[in-house]
Amino acid sequence: MRTFAVLFQKELRESWRSFKFLWMPLLFIFLGISDPIMNYYMEDILNAVGNLPEGFTITLPDYAPADILLASTGQFQSIGLIVLVVIAAGMINRERQNGTALFIYVRPISFAALYFSKWAVINLLAVLSVILGYGASMYYTAILYGTVEPLLFIQMVASYCVWILFATTIALMFSAMFKTALSITFTVIVLPIGVLVQSLIGQFWNVSPWKLADYSVQLLTQSENEYYLKTLLLTIICTVIFILIGILFTRKNASSVKV
Amino acid sequence: MITVQHLTKNFGAQTVVSDVSFTLEDGSFTALIGPNGAGKTTILSMLAGLLKPTGGSVKMEGIKDIRKEIGFLPQYPQFYPWLTGVEFIELTAKLSGISARGARKEAEKVLEFVGLKDAIHKKTAQYSGGMKQRLGIAQAIVHKPKLLLLDEPVSSLDPVGRREIMNLLKQLQRGSTILYSTHILNDAEEMTDQLLFLKKGKVVEKGSLNEIREKFDVPRIRIQFAGVEEAAGYSSQTEWPTEVEGNVVYVYIKDHFPTMQQVMGELSNSPFTVVKVERDRLSLEEIFMKVVSP
Amino acid sequence: MMDINWALVAPLLVIQVVLLIVALVDLIRIESTNGPKWVWALVIIFFNILGPIVYFIFGRKS
Repeated sequence: MRTFAVLFQKELRESWRSFKFLWMPLLFIFLGISDPIMNYYMEDILNAVGNLPEGFTITLPDYAPADILLASTGQFQSIGLIVLVVIAAGMINRERQNGTALFIYVRPISFAALYFSKWAVINLLAVLSVILGYGASMYYTAILYGTVEPLLFIQMVASYCVWILFATTIALMFSAMFKTALSITFTVIVLPIGVLVQSLIGQFWNVSPWKLADYSVQLLTQSENEYYLKTLLLTIICTVIFILIGILFTRKNASSVKV
Repeated sequence: MITVQHLTKNFGAQTVVSDVSFTLEDGSFTALIGPNGAGKTTILSMLAGLLKPTGGSVKMEGIKDIRKEIGFLPQYPQFYPWLTGVEFIELTAKLSGISARGARKEAEKVLEFVGLKDAIHKKTAQYSGGMKQRLGIAQAIVHKPKLLLLDEPVSSLDPVGRREIMNLLKQLQRGSTILYSTHILNDAEEMTDQLLFLKKGKVVEKGSLNEIREKFDVPRIRIQFAGVEEAAGYSSQTEWPTEVEGNVVYVYIKDHFPTMQQVMGELSNSPFTVVKVERDRLSLEEIFMKVVSP
Repeated sequence: MMDINWALVAPLLVIQVVLLIVALVDLIRIESTNGPKWVWALVIIFFNILGPIVYFIFGRKS
């Protein structure tokens, strides 16, 4: 526990000094704000830049608050997710490859503590960013389009955070298993591209962690979804399994540290 | 006392360390000597617990978790560039089990000892090569380990830096057992209790400097002449067994003969100009070449 | 002319400016980057939002 506290402080310090705690939340806030505002001004923008013929008007659909939050989720699922998991995919292996981890590995530490120090910091960063991002999106949506049930909103955010923990855990597992180039490649294939694949051919299955983000937003409209709980449970189980695999490989690959 | 028995390491089909055994007495200073690729770093890594041996064991009297009692300095220490010197040493001190309150104090103390007092609040990214080596030593000794493992502690430094670090290590020796690897033999010559010569993963020779020297020394007298012809002339004329190397002639001594006086007498009666006569001893470098060459 | 409520859009601009400034200040103070510094300066200045973030992820040497 003491080792965890010491290493957690070290990881926190690194993230702080490399400005991650500044730019990651700002990125998510930006992504969260941009859809409510863009959609609000869409008509004006099209008229201004579209060179539409005289008398031609476009009627844009009237968006419900849930639609805007769905659009923001789409932003988090692309740019936000990529940035987050690419960072996580380098957390364990980079230290090994450049040799800085050596001074930690030769000391009487538990590798579980080492793993969790990184897991805790990346997820602190992720959850903070997601909450601020959704908060900003909700704030603008409320001003421009109307509100949603607060409790449902909180449920949605919490549910989305479970998906984000799942995503960072996969990235961290790859980070423990492979060198950075490989771990980043696998992470990008499994997560951002996985999300893309899910959106293209996802109608063929109902329960999958990759569906959790969509299901989370659907909570807002309160439409009955018999698969939601199963998906949530599966995601949590997978996360736990991937954590264990991650710890295992953190220990196993410690000897590959550059001496 | 540390006992290493039958230590072996294979990487795939390749045997990098093969059946290495030795003991380190408490407070002793031992050098691991061998050419590049002889397995020095691999042995140190196994002792430090970084690599799992394929076979054999490392035991420290009365200690269970050997990692608590080890300080390790790699050949090219790499530091987190975003930490200051004192923050880094504090981190390593805490990880070695020093209390949060004591860690800061110990860190400052050890940084002063290695001569980094004025740089403790600088980021390690700004440290020079010599400063990094000092910082590396500081992290290795901050928790007062029983065994210090140093991988080529001075070979990347210039002569001045080398001297400073060796002086530091001399001061240290009072407290800990030290095992260090080197391929620079002058370092080893001056302060080492025990030498382990490594060749292709095997210990081919071990003992104190004197023991090894006695074993390999070829008694001979070295005579330097003014010119090459004179050396050749003397060599062809004398009755003793000789070997010529340019303007130098080696006269080999067998069963105490010839004596220095006999050679001097012979020289003073000869027409050749002599520059220098001395009882020749093999340098550690030459012994090394003898031990490790096939 | 578009009728824009600047109070609404201001936060977007503020975020961009903050990221831009922090990234540039860091670029000036950092010892070395992956690749030449001036390229990173251009990336930071000319790509909204993503420029500074790409710099923070890939530009800083760690």
